[in-house]
Amino acid sequence: MAHTKFACEVLTPEGEVFNDEVEMVSTRTTLGLIAILANHAPVLARLEPTELRIYRSENDILRLAQAEGFMQMSDNRALLLLEQVSEIDALDRGELERAREAAQSASEAAPEGSEEATRATRELRRAEAFLRILDAS
Amino acid sequence: MASQREVRTRIASFKNIEKITRAMEAVSAARLRRAEQRIAALRPYADAVRRMTRQAARDAGSEIKRVPLLATREPQQRVAILLITADRGLAGAFNSQIVRAGTQLASELEAQQREAVWYASGRRGVSSLTFRGRDLSGAYTGFTDRPAYTDARQIAGELITAFLDGAVDRAEIIYNAYISPLTQRATRETLLPASAAALTGADRDEDEPGEERSARRGNAEYEPEADELLRELVPHYVEVSIYRALLESAASEHGARMTAMRSATENAGELIDDLTLEMNRARQAEITQEILEVVAGAGSLV
Repeated sequence: MAHTKFACEVLTPEGEVFNDEVEMVSTRTTLGLIAILANHAPVLARLEPTELRIYRSENDILRLAQAEGFMQMSDNRALLLLEQVSEIDALDRGELERAREAAQSASEAAPEGSEEATRATRELRRAEAFLRILDAS
Repeated sequence: MASQREVRTRIASFKNIEKITRAMEAVSAARLRRAEQRIAALRPYADAVRRMTRQAARDAGSEIKRVPLLATREPQQRVAILLITADRGLAGAFNSQIVRAGTQLASELEAQQREAVWYASGRRGVSSLTFRGRDLSGAYTGFTDRPAYTDARQIAGELITAFLDGAVDRAEIIYNAYISPLTQRATRETLLPASAAALTGADRDEDEPGEERSARRGNAEYEPEADELLRELVPHYVEVSIYRALLESAASEHGARMTAMRSATENAGELIDDLTLEMNRARQAEITQEILEVVAGAGSLV
């Protein structure tokens, strides 16, 4: 059954990535996986690195690797602000593994609770999430 | 009067300079267009971040006071000054006006018995400050003509750390705001504490009519809670502000260099005209001299 469509916009600091009518968007917030359908209650959420799925229709699904960001659903419009988005095919396993190693050692070297440690943890989570996307695809 | 050969060599070297400056002008013009596109690409994102931060700030209510990056501290003993300059020169007053604005602010602070803590992006700013014997708490180089978001994130991260650790009580950014390809304006903005007024103010909210805004107030779900989300949004807002300044500075740099190179090309052209005139005079004088000698020689034979 076809779902009702709603507007979905994906923005990054480098520009617009996606702006079209969709049936469903699935992503991950700090509390876990979330799927947004039309007329979803207004929500403002922090997004975690994961595979972002945008369902233009049941068979037409756009899959992207999303970094950290924020999402706002209001007036039947989903707005996703993401620091970085890449095509899954464009992900480079070697590069991600190197980033994971670097973040791992940086987080071990940084004093606990410091800003550096937070940053390194964030890099680490991003690299791990992207590697998981590659493993799954 | 210089000999013909000397003048000819000088003309040749000015012609080379003219070619180089004209090429540099063309390169800067092309880069300027790309830099302008990147500013335009950031705008919807930056606006959306500000709107979301504002909404979270409204719904966080009194909790907003507990967000450290929004809290004003008194006295502001140590003030961070972040100068955004270019890696390269040959751009007119582009770099020097930023350094001048920075040192002016620093002497104002010192007059009030306060201390300036220096941060600089761009080799020009870093080397002028080092030359003046200032210690830099942060120096960022190698990206100024094409800044990436991660560069802004690094700078923001270090400033926020310094602010939270109490190493600085306030952070100011000085950069060349991009007005037009011909105009750059040295601009100063307060980065930290992030201005609660700019975030919560209802002005400049053109795309959000009043009735809609009041209807929306307080009825959104938050993941995590509004104040928790605000703690995440404010640093992001600071990052975006720095990124915007870096992009504007990059566009201004290309604009300033384009203008500087255009006038250099024009000056070279004028010099070439002057020297050509001089060379023709020298040649004419030589010919006249030879004729006079021939005539004098012929006269003595008669």
